[in-house]
Amino acid sequence: MAASESSRYLARSLPRALAPSARPHTLCWRRDASDQASSRSPSVNDLNELETITSLSSTTPPAEIVETFDPIARSRSRKTQLPRSRYQFRSPKYYRGPLHPHQPPPPTDPSSRLFVPGPFSLPRVEQTWQSTVASDILSLLYVHNPPGFKPPVKAPRLRSWDDSSPYHKNRPLRGPRGGDVLRLLRKPIDFNNVPKLERITIHSYVNMATESSSWIHTAGIAVQAISNVRVQTYKSKASVVKWGIAPGRDTVACKAELSGENMLHFFGKLVDIVMPRIKDWRGIKGSSGDSSGNITFGLDPEAVALFPEIEVNYDMYPPKMIPGCHITLHTTARTDKDARLLLSAMGIPFYGKINH
Amino acid sequence: MSFALPLRRSTTATTARIQPSTTFICSQCRHATLLRRPKRPYQFTQLIAMSDGSTFTHRTSSPAPIYRSTRDTRNSLMWNPSSSKLASIEKDEAGRMAAFRARFGRGFDANNMKFVDPEAKKAAEQKEADAKAAEAEAEEEDDNLLDLISAFGQQEAPPPEKKNKW
Repeated sequence: MAASESSRYLARSLPRALAPSARPHTLCWRRDASDQASSRSPSVNDLNELETITSLSSTTPPAEIVETFDPIARSRSRKTQLPRSRYQFRSPKYYRGPLHPHQPPPPTDPSSRLFVPGPFSLPRVEQTWQSTVASDILSLLYVHNPPGFKPPVKAPRLRSWDDSSPYHKNRPLRGPRGGDVLRLLRKPIDFNNVPKLERITIHSYVNMATESSSWIHTAGIAVQAISNVRVQTYKSKASVVKWGIAPGRDTVACKAELSGENMLHFFGKLVDIVMPRIKDWRGIKGSSGDSSGNITFGLDPEAVALFPEIEVNYDMYPPKMIPGCHITLHTTARTDKDARLLLSAMGIPFYGKINH
Repeated sequence: MSFALPLRRSTTATTARIQPSTTFICSQCRHATLLRRPKRPYQFTQLIAMSDGSTFTHRTSSPAPIYRSTRDTRNSLMWNPSSSKLASIEKDEAGRMAAFRARFGRGFDANNMKFVDPEAKKAAEQKEADAKAAEAEAEEEDDNLLDLISAFGQQEAPPPEKKNKW
């Protein structure tokens, strides 16, 4: 690349240099970088300065350097260990923008400050999903299309305006018939998009948190104990006059986002140990869900106290302050029907009218 | 660039002299985002023994090494709807009902369940089926002849009309 370019520029510059320039060679006070190359008179020295060999060819180091180069002997002769900064990369503490020369490594790098190691175990729920649930769902949702089958063409989801009025010009497309919500498109379930648990959100709204902060502290610790995840606290967005909650002033809720290993262990103990012990519990309501594959249900304080982590040192928590919580199971399913199929295969009971 | 540097340095030096140093306050500033190390609560490995004796391990914040559950998916009716053992509603913890039945029999039970020996029941069923088959064989010949006679010269009867509810 470099070799070919240099020769090309040389061939181009040669006739230009030899041709008489249009500008007269007079004493000129102004000197610009742009007119330097063309106006300068050619000299043989300039051309000689060009290297004939390419920079791509490697040069062999001199023999004495090769002989003295012995890094192993050099490190052995060292009396003390090198300082840690010489052999261990330390990520910068601050990210100072994309143009800063000292960039932190990506979070997947073990030397990054944001690195989270793991997973360290293969959870039981994951094994169940791999061995039985995935193949079951795949066979349950299989739709056979004979060869040559073409699905009927559907109308576009966003309708265009009929040009009955001149005001329809340049309008954005109309929403779907019967409501403005554009639902998620459901792809046919295939071997590579079998529904799966994606993440779990545990959210706890403590209305007594305005009285004293101990309520939100207890709720946060309880949620952290059952989920193994540090919680985040949130301020109220809505005003509730009855409880004296003003938006933006009172910290009233805490939330833990579980994913990966934490999520699977939490789901396992929720289904196997906690749910069967809840008194007079009928299951999750069949109409629950946000119609895009995420199912939410609530646990009251008595149910939260049934978790083995809280049970093991129940005395640590003030009994009145154990929070209830809302648990959202986010799945990769695009519809609630598929999500419910997945969750019921993994052991969650549903009751009542089931919305599809 | 090099000529610009001393100028800049002098300005920063003067501003630094004026401002008090606030290194210990960890407030977020615009030009440097603190990369916080993620908090990961400590986890123990716990063995969970279910009520039917099966065990599995999981990671948890509870320090107890073994958790024995008395009530879980293995012995709850909601997860085992077909189990007759769990479906029995009658509670007879003291054994008084059993004692009563041993003395007076089961004639008083409201839903009188007949206890039948499965083998005897099977044998009886077999006997019944055999008898039925023999009877059917005997009747078949007669039926065929009678049918022929009765159906001769008649049109087939129309099928009975179904009652339409709607």
